[in-house]
Amino acid sequence: MLKIFAIVLGKELRDALRDRRTLARLLIPAVIMGPLMLMVISNLVSSLEAQAEQREVMAVGIDNAPTLRNYLERQTYKIKTAPADYEEQLRKSRLNEPVLVVGQDFEKALADGDRPKLEIVSDSANQRASVGVRTLNKLVEGFAQERGGLALMLRGVPTGLLQPVEVHERDLASAQARASQITGMIPMFIIMAVLYGALTAALDSTAGERERGSLEPLLMNPVPHFALVLGKWGAVALLGMAVAVLANLGYVPAQDLIHNETLQAMFRFGPAEALRFLLLQLPLAAGLSALLMAVAIRSKTYKEAQAGSALVITGISLAPMVAIMNPGAEPFWYYLVPGLGQYTLMMQVLKGQALQFAPVATTVAGGIVLMIAGLAFVARSMRSAVAR
Amino acid sequence: MIRLDQISKRFVARTAGAAKQKNPFRRAAKQTVQAVDGLSLDAPDGRITGLLGPNGAGKTTSLRMLAGLLPPDQGRIGVDGIDAVAQPREALARMGILGDAHGLYPRLSARENIVYYGRLQGMDADAAAARADELARLLDMRALLDRRTEGFSQGERMKTALARALVHDPANIVLDEPTNGLDVLATRGLREALRHLRSPAGGAKCIVFSTHIMQEVEQLCDRVTVVAGGRRVAEGTVDELLAQAGCTRFEDAFVALAYGAPTRNGDA
Repeated sequence: MLKIFAIVLGKELRDALRDRRTLARLLIPAVIMGPLMLMVISNLVSSLEAQAEQREVMAVGIDNAPTLRNYLERQTYKIKTAPADYEEQLRKSRLNEPVLVVGQDFEKALADGDRPKLEIVSDSANQRASVGVRTLNKLVEGFAQERGGLALMLRGVPTGLLQPVEVHERDLASAQARASQITGMIPMFIIMAVLYGALTAALDSTAGERERGSLEPLLMNPVPHFALVLGKWGAVALLGMAVAVLANLGYVPAQDLIHNETLQAMFRFGPAEALRFLLLQLPLAAGLSALLMAVAIRSKTYKEAQAGSALVITGISLAPMVAIMNPGAEPFWYYLVPGLGQYTLMMQVLKGQALQFAPVATTVAGGIVLMIAGLAFVARSMRSAVAR
Repeated sequence: MIRLDQISKRFVARTAGAAKQKNPFRRAAKQTVQAVDGLSLDAPDGRITGLLGPNGAGKTTSLRMLAGLLPPDQGRIGVDGIDAVAQPREALARMGILGDAHGLYPRLSARENIVYYGRLQGMDADAAAARADELARLLDMRALLDRRTEGFSQGERMKTALARALVHDPANIVLDEPTNGLDVLATRGLREALRHLRSPAGGAKCIVFSTHIMQEVEQLCDRVTVVAGGRRVAEGTVDELLAQAGCTRFEDAFVALAYGAPTRNGDA
């Protein structure tokens, strides 16, 4: 039994590794995608932060409003003149900040109490520009409040009347919890990497074998069918795990590529985290490999099996969505769902929390149960698959 | 020595006649098909036994039962005295089967394909590799041995599959329509290889050869079993079958025996 397992495992691995083109196409998205996304996001975050720190206001016709200019400068803002075609540039995302437009008779209308109009021009499809709208709006409101307060004071009315309620904001999110909004995609990418690593080998060794007509002669060898299945599964699971290892290692250097300091401080992914991630993924790779094989063995062709496996992939990749939609809540049943359990635990690693024994043991047991059920199904289906 | 004793197999299939049904969502009715109906076959060692029958006669199903892929509903299958139903693995170890499906692994070389099966048959890697060389000589495919089977022609693929089936030097060889898609030279080569395997020098193998090509039967088989409708309708040497049907041409004899049609002697 063990010898047959080793023979089949060796053959399947050799077979899969010779398919270089498929391997390369599978490794690129699985291994590079995540770190790349992380870098892009970190760059975006940095530029947004830089924009916030700049304390600059882009304006048109600010010369018509010396009072407003005075206020802005007192708030230590620098005023830049907007280009003439700012609307066009905003639309085309070449200009990345909102523009304050001041009318010609602003100063006079202000003095007369005619409520002059100020326009804040932005494009909500231009994300960077629309991020600045809130700041600019607050700034202008501050100016309006100051003016209103002064006018009331002149008439001997306390300014507090304008603000009968005092509002304070308090953000309870920890820095790491905030970071997990961004780093939350990493476990998802890694789970996808495991799936994609196992996918081709799983389909090739089951439905592919049927389609080629090589399953029937294979079963005519005097070996226990379960040993054949086990050998095939071993190869599939090893490939899934190998891609998982590569995907994990991909994030270790990615950490150094993150230019944003805040994000870098929040995102800790060293060798220790990578190792923990990997240990969490092993049972998942084992279970998913068997699941993919079980789905594929029922299909007569590779194409049919791909359609079936798309269902598995969608299911597993949507599972973490449950956790993303309910941030903070971690009910115990999460750990029973393959994909979701691993996702939740990986997020805990990223947040720097210590892993608890019971949840980890549950996900490991879940992976093993899935594996045994899948393999038993494949072994049972193989002979009837040939006979049909 | 292979002996099939009154084996039967019945399949349950769903009828495809959806067009007749008014409701397309209703599942089609079940229908049973008696694929093999009490078939017997005796294939002694040192002989080539032909299994001749029209399409759908039950040849492939019978050979699948012999290979342990399908359990027979009734009857017994013996391979060198081993009950193939009760001890399928022991029986398979004594058989080399080239079935209806004989796909190869396209990313492995012909040699790797052959050695893989040798190892599954319990041989060690060196012995299997040596055996691959020997079979390559016998089947005239030495030039192919270290090429990947990806671009092989039909004949090259068939030779590789045959070598793979024979890697463990089985005493019993079962071939299901092995000349399908082979050209004249390849067919002739295969015929010579089978004659060699039948001879005492080649190991006096028991060879069962299923086909629907008359010419092959005439040239190769020592005895012929004619199958039709899942049962044996005639058995004997080519000459005996000719005499039994009262024909001079084997094709006519086959038509008479298999279909029960009136003989059309001399009708080309």
